[in-house]
Amino acid sequence: MTTVEKKIMSFSIVAGLVFCVPQTASAMHIMEGYLPPAFCIGWGAICLPFLAAGVIAIRRLVQQHRKSILLLAMAGAFVFVISSLKIPSVTGSCSHMTGTGLGAILFGVPATSVLGLIVLVFQALLLAHGGLTTLGANTFSMAIAGPLLTWGLYQAGKKLRLPKLLNVFLAAMLGDLLTYCVTSVQLALAYPSAEGGVWASMVEFLAVFAPTQLPLAIIEGILTMLVMMGLETYAKTELHELRSAKGGLFK
Amino acid sequence: MIAALLAGLVFFSLFAGQLPPVWLAAVCLLVVLLFLLGGGHHHDSVLTMDVYARRSRLCRENAAFKTVGSLCLLIICICSSSPIPPLCLFLFLSVATVAAGGVKLREYLSLLGLPAVFLLLSGLTLLWDFYQKLPEQAVVSLPFFGGWLAVVPAAQSLAMLVLSRALGAVSCLYFLSLSTPLPELLAVLRRAHVPAIVVELAVLIYRYIFILLATFRDMKDSAASRLGYRGLKRSLRTTGLVYGGLLANSFRRAGACFDAMESRCYTGQIAFLTPKKKVTGKLICLLGFPLIGMLAGVWLFF
Repeated sequence: MTTVEKKIMSFSIVAGLVFCVPQTASAMHIMEGYLPPAFCIGWGAICLPFLAAGVIAIRRLVQQHRKSILLLAMAGAFVFVISSLKIPSVTGSCSHMTGTGLGAILFGVPATSVLGLIVLVFQALLLAHGGLTTLGANTFSMAIAGPLLTWGLYQAGKKLRLPKLLNVFLAAMLGDLLTYCVTSVQLALAYPSAEGGVWASMVEFLAVFAPTQLPLAIIEGILTMLVMMGLETYAKTELHELRSAKGGLFK
Repeated sequence: MIAALLAGLVFFSLFAGQLPPVWLAAVCLLVVLLFLLGGGHHHDSVLTMDVYARRSRLCRENAAFKTVGSLCLLIICICSSSPIPPLCLFLFLSVATVAAGGVKLREYLSLLGLPAVFLLLSGLTLLWDFYQKLPEQAVVSLPFFGGWLAVVPAAQSLAMLVLSRALGAVSCLYFLSLSTPLPELLAVLRRAHVPAIVVELAVLIYRYIFILLATFRDMKDSAASRLGYRGLKRSLRTTGLVYGGLLANSFRRAGACFDAMESRCYTGQIAFLTPKKKVTGKLICLLGFPLIGMLAGVWLFF
């Protein structure tokens, strides 16, 4: 390195450290055009069975209770809206929830995966968040893997008789963390590092996104918990209606 | 601010060793300045892109043609194995969106800033790798916990390729989404035989987004006027309660909406009127020219 280069380098490192407060932390979507074609197709193919199951479940549900299409649409709009809104977090940074954990707890995994897909298309087209070619990969991490874990943990917690709010918090937080880990794995698989391969590259991606994603997961957990609390207080009847509709979703 | 510094760092590692130091510094400074001036992602209006799409001059063109054309361009763009065709595509489509579509340049640049943080952070991991021993061809290197973090020319060319493909693809996405309102795209999906229930759900979701956003704005304002957002703890509590209230409210509205639809003879299908739009010569030029160019470019550089 020449001296000028060294100076620029050290300046940028110092400045980077000084301002190392995450500023924009969105739910981590892989951006448009980032993955090579083979991976786009592969991840899309993995999502297909889940989406097919979701479409079948929703179609059956709507045939039985026509009103449920409106409930689902409202839920989808809700997930989109909260994922586009700013949530409070550490000093001046701005971050967004994923909302799919809440969806999984309220509506189950098959419906959430279809809603998640629609929301991801909307996010790509309306918010430039994520993309059309990376839709498969994002659907898998956001709308399938995360909700599956959240739903599984929530059910397991119910069996173990964990306090309800703690259970919701843990399920939502860990689901969000899994989304971020899966995204890192997806990135690492597509671009393994020259020395150390996929593993080293995954560690790098995890490390780079950790400062923004770890606090976000905790905040997501807390907010999901609070939303559930609010729903139990103010919307008992709707929640009950939803449960009976959801019963239809799993038949 | 952070994005600007990150951008400087990424561009520095991208071109280090390939440009003379003065040029390198100039490029980095230029990028930092561009980000400082053009960046900034504001939240006052969530649906800015929807507004731009409806205001666009290309809004009057045929939606199916735009969709198919942009998707073809997108696919060719990510299949490219050289950074040059995607960069040309990026320039062409950006000019097309701004000049033919009528989106303001400043607005377009600030939209480009949206995916920038992701692009820059992941660009950094593509460029910098951890090595036990300092590789000989390393252009920039730093000692790091008994090993070296270094940038090698191979990583530079990979990062260059990925960055350019992502830029090209984002310009395709913007060309489509800044010229076509979402309901028209959904009509195209319906014609492409996407399951009817999914399209119907999507249409309803699109309409409800506006209702929910308006309700949310009212709830947030009233919570703020009662000092609900003072301090992190209280604002987290308020946000959770507002979201819960919003969800409860939306379920109630869904009930009311269903009653309204039933009383208007809803039998499980929602019909929409979509105005027919012709394919014009302008659109054929705008999409056909880059399509031919990209095919030629990808084939040439293969």
